[in-house]
Amino acid sequence: MRKAFGVLKAVDGIDFELKQGEFLTVFGPNGAGKTTLIKILSGLTQPTSGAAKVAGFDVTEGNPEMRKEIGVISHSTALYADLTPLENLMFFARMHGLSQPEDHALKVIDEVGLSQRRNDRVRTFSRGMLQRLSIARAILHDPKILFLDEPFTGLDLHASNVLKEYLKRLHDRQRTIVMTTHDISCGLEMCNKVALQVRGKFAFLENIEDVDRDQFESLYFDAVRDNQFVMGIGAN
Amino acid sequence: MNLYLNQIAAIVWKDFVTELKTRELLSAMFIFALLVILIFIFSINLSIVKASEVGPGILWVAFLFAGTIGLNRSFMLEKENGCLMGLMLVPADRTAIYFGKLISNLIFLSIMELFILPLFMIFFNIDLLEHLGSLLVVVFLGTLGFCALGTLLSSLSSNLKTREIMLPILLYPLLIPIVIGVVRMTGQLLEGVPLLNMMKWIGLTASFDIIYIGVSIMTIDHILEE
Repeated sequence: MRKAFGVLKAVDGIDFELKQGEFLTVFGPNGAGKTTLIKILSGLTQPTSGAAKVAGFDVTEGNPEMRKEIGVISHSTALYADLTPLENLMFFARMHGLSQPEDHALKVIDEVGLSQRRNDRVRTFSRGMLQRLSIARAILHDPKILFLDEPFTGLDLHASNVLKEYLKRLHDRQRTIVMTTHDISCGLEMCNKVALQVRGKFAFLENIEDVDRDQFESLYFDAVRDNQFVMGIGAN
Repeated sequence: MNLYLNQIAAIVWKDFVTELKTRELLSAMFIFALLVILIFIFSINLSIVKASEVGPGILWVAFLFAGTIGLNRSFMLEKENGCLMGLMLVPADRTAIYFGKLISNLIFLSIMELFILPLFMIFFNIDLLEHLGSLLVVVFLGTLGFCALGTLLSSLSSNLKTREIMLPILLYPLLIPIVIGVVRMTGQLLEGVPLLNMMKWIGLTASFDIIYIGVSIMTIDHILEE
């Protein structure tokens, strides 16, 4: 699978398979193409060449049925700031065609621990609360597959732990998860498979049991340092 | 089909609830339209110029300029916090998103116009009540075309840094046929010409409304894709 923006190759020949219930963490320096990979897999953008199937659907066909099977958490929360959590989630429940949207919304709000704030405007929420609500939006329709793009960014320790626990519960429920992150300890702790994406390619893809943590960290930091050199950051 | 209509209704509901809480859109459009009318009323000597001759043009300038503010805001709401991404991730046909936004824009603009018409009547001393039914048909046709094209172009320009400038630059030239039609019809109505005698202009305006909606349906997928 490839995706180019002009001369820039954001995804340059990535090839992998993930079975149901597996958890893939993709590490990589900034600009490696991790977000573009997530966008392709979730159907938000089309690959330039190659193919990808998610839940049996070809992502290039733009079939709305595929979107019933996936949930996405991204850098942006995709939440309307002037609506309350209940209003936001009722809206998305209606867009997903769920019967009794209010019941579904209340259920997931409770699951992410935001019941007491369900009638407050989202604009007043902290980063951690926004991330939890974003998770609620992503799991509202009980998707089989979750794509998480750097979900720990901006979260404090408590919020990170809450998120980790929640992702573990989802994984225990046999949800397939693809997560990109810079947080090595979080990422390695939760996954079955590890990938390192560098300049659009997977430089590393292994099952977690076959990964030597120290070796992987060394590889990751080399990739980050090389990337900074290429980008001219800190270069003499 | 039920799901499709429910999705459109959900988008309209969401826009309404947001507007009820913020009151940004309607107040901005109303004040801008009122300002346009006031500026013109103070710059024209109505003892020399017939109000029914200049009034229609001024009225539609007010509607279109104020409406552009509304259109800009329409997709900005979706761009904030990446909400458009959220809409793209639901199992909705992209045309449902388009029609939801179109109907929201149409309703908000129509509300603004219903408030502006009485003020226009007072300031220009023109009796609109005599031709109210026909006038509302003309206003609806013009507003529909404006919203149909404007919703499409605001989704296009929302990705641009210079979106506030680009929307009018793209929108106004393409609106010329509809603007000519509705201004002429409004003028003729104020002179007492029955609406049924203007079938040519009605046909022109309605045709362009249909063309703009058709083009929007065909292109919205590509415009919304990242």
